[in-house]
Amino acid sequence: MSIAVRDLVHIYHPGSPLQTKALDGVTFEAERGSWVAVVGHTGSGKSTLAQHLNGLLLPTEGSVSVDDIQVRHGEESLRKVRQKVGLVFQYPEQQLFEETVFKEVSFGPRNWGFQAGRLEKSVEEALELVGIGEDLYEANPFRLSGGQKRRVAIASTLSSDPDYLVMDEPTAGLDSPGRRQLLGLLSDLKKLGKGIIHITHDMELALGLADSILVLDEGKSTLWGPPGVILGELLERDIRGLVIPDLVRFAGRLRDLGFEVPLTWEPKILAEAIGRSHGR
Amino acid sequence: MKFLNNMTLGQYVPVESPVHHLDPRCKIVAVLFCLVGIFMVRGPLGFVMWGLFFLALVGASRIPARLVLSTVKPVWILVAFTAAIHLFFTGGEPVFSWGILEVTREGVVMAARMGLRLMLLIMFAGLLTLTTSPTELADGLESLFSPLRRFGFPAHELAMMMTIALRFIPTLLNETERIMKAQIARGAELERGGPLKRLRAFIPVLVPLFVIVFQRADDLATAMEARNYTGGEGRTRMNPLEWTAGDSAAFVFSLLFSFLAVFLDGRVTLP
Ligand SMILES: Nc1ncnc2c1ncn2[C@@H]1O[C@H](COP(=O)(O)OP(=O)(O)O)[C@@H](O)[C@H]1O
Ligand SMILES: [Mg+2]
Repeated sequence: MSIAVRDLVHIYHPGSPLQTKALDGVTFEAERGSWVAVVGHTGSGKSTLAQHLNGLLLPTEGSVSVDDIQVRHGEESLRKVRQKVGLVFQYPEQQLFEETVFKEVSFGPRNWGFQAGRLEKSVEEALELVGIGEDLYEANPFRLSGGQKRRVAIASTLSSDPDYLVMDEPTAGLDSPGRRQLLGLLSDLKKLGKGIIHITHDMELALGLADSILVLDEGKSTLWGPPGVILGELLERDIRGLVIPDLVRFAGRLRDLGFEVPLTWEPKILAEAIGRSHGR
Repeated sequence: MKFLNNMTLGQYVPVESPVHHLDPRCKIVAVLFCLVGIFMVRGPLGFVMWGLFFLALVGASRIPARLVLSTVKPVWILVAFTAAIHLFFTGGEPVFSWGILEVTREGVVMAARMGLRLMLLIMFAGLLTLTTSPTELADGLESLFSPLRRFGFPAHELAMMMTIALRFIPTLLNETERIMKAQIARGAELERGGPLKRLRAFIPVLVPLFVIVFQRADDLATAMEARNYTGGEGRTRMNPLEWTAGDSAAFVFSLLFSFLAVFLDGRVTLP
């Protein structure tokens, strides 16, 4: 069970002066229960890719399939795909429109035709996952704080019980406790067996949290693999707009000087390795 | 999904061309002459002259013909409807009948005349916005209206409002598309059912859009105040308008051409 993307090409406004090739041969696979990070500079095609994963955009060339359902024209299959793949846009709080938090979060499941009992249950579960308590169920979403709005918006996607969750820069504009809480939520969802596709331009986050990393550069999938492999490649060559964590650079420099330390982004591991090489 | 990808009317295409370089005031007034001229021709010669003039302008403006044609796209129904009304409802000598519908010779002539006229009007106006940036357009209008200021006419304010509105159209379209996608991702069905159902289905798009527009307007007002914007008096410009000999030539030429087209057209009457 996975989302499989093969040689995906996307061209905006083909045949007009505004023609833009936003994706140029992207291939990767995201399984349920795993965390894939998509990393790349601004304009590298991350948001375009996100919209392909649930059929908001359709391939110019290549293919996208979700649990073996092809994403292509046709109302039935598109709705099935959209329900399986929850997509949380950048700044999702801007899509809020209902009078109460509870109604807002019910919007998705209602559209998918959830029956009465299941509807309430999934709304409550979603709100619990994001840490919105019962006291806020009847609150006006527009009156909430920025962080709370973001969480309500994310809950409004979770409540449709998707198997995969695509998040486009979900931590943008959050303070650091908010960020930590959100990343914790993604870990929890992964443990619940959902496939996480986390779009970010923060390489350090991706290295620390993802099972696999896809690096986009000008619409091409230049790198794809587990964090360790990606890290080695990153030190070999420069990729536009990607910042290699300082600690990794430091570890790499130590290795150049002949120290036997692993290439790592985690202070604890590096410290222990240095300690060992000094016999501590 | 197509969404709002087909909007061309009122879109500026920034390429280098002699038409782009003309002073916006020259273009605005020249287009007005042309529009009046187009309204006043009735016969084949007049339309052929305007058509050729238009083709020459498109060539000089280096804008792909397809884009120019697509300015008519949003309103082609209006053109077709106008032509159809004249085709079927003009009295005269019948040439063809189909049930209660009767097409007269005069009807065919009127339909062709009105259809062509409307298309030419739209395409000339379209060419103006395709070759003139919104800022230039607003500056041009402000300058043209400024003599009226002494009668209390708010030329600067109107031009500034127009600039802002034009500046916001692309943003607004982008935001609309983004919100629509976000709601479709949550299972909204925006394109099904009758008009009433569709209208209701659009509430999840309209409410966030209003919120965003008001926020943007507020941000903009703050930004303008922070930079000491206080209105029109004594403001200098980034790119002051400059009327050149080329503008005079283009201006005189389009004026003469309009007269000539109307004059010659009047001499060649329909059989
Ligand atoms: N709706 C659109 N119409 C035309 N071009 C677009 C549109 N959306 C994105 N693009 C272009 O596609 C490229 C990739 O954009 P995007 O997917 O938003 O990248 P990212 O999310 O990585 O910043 C950019 O060059 C962008 O200008
Ligand atoms: Mg993006």
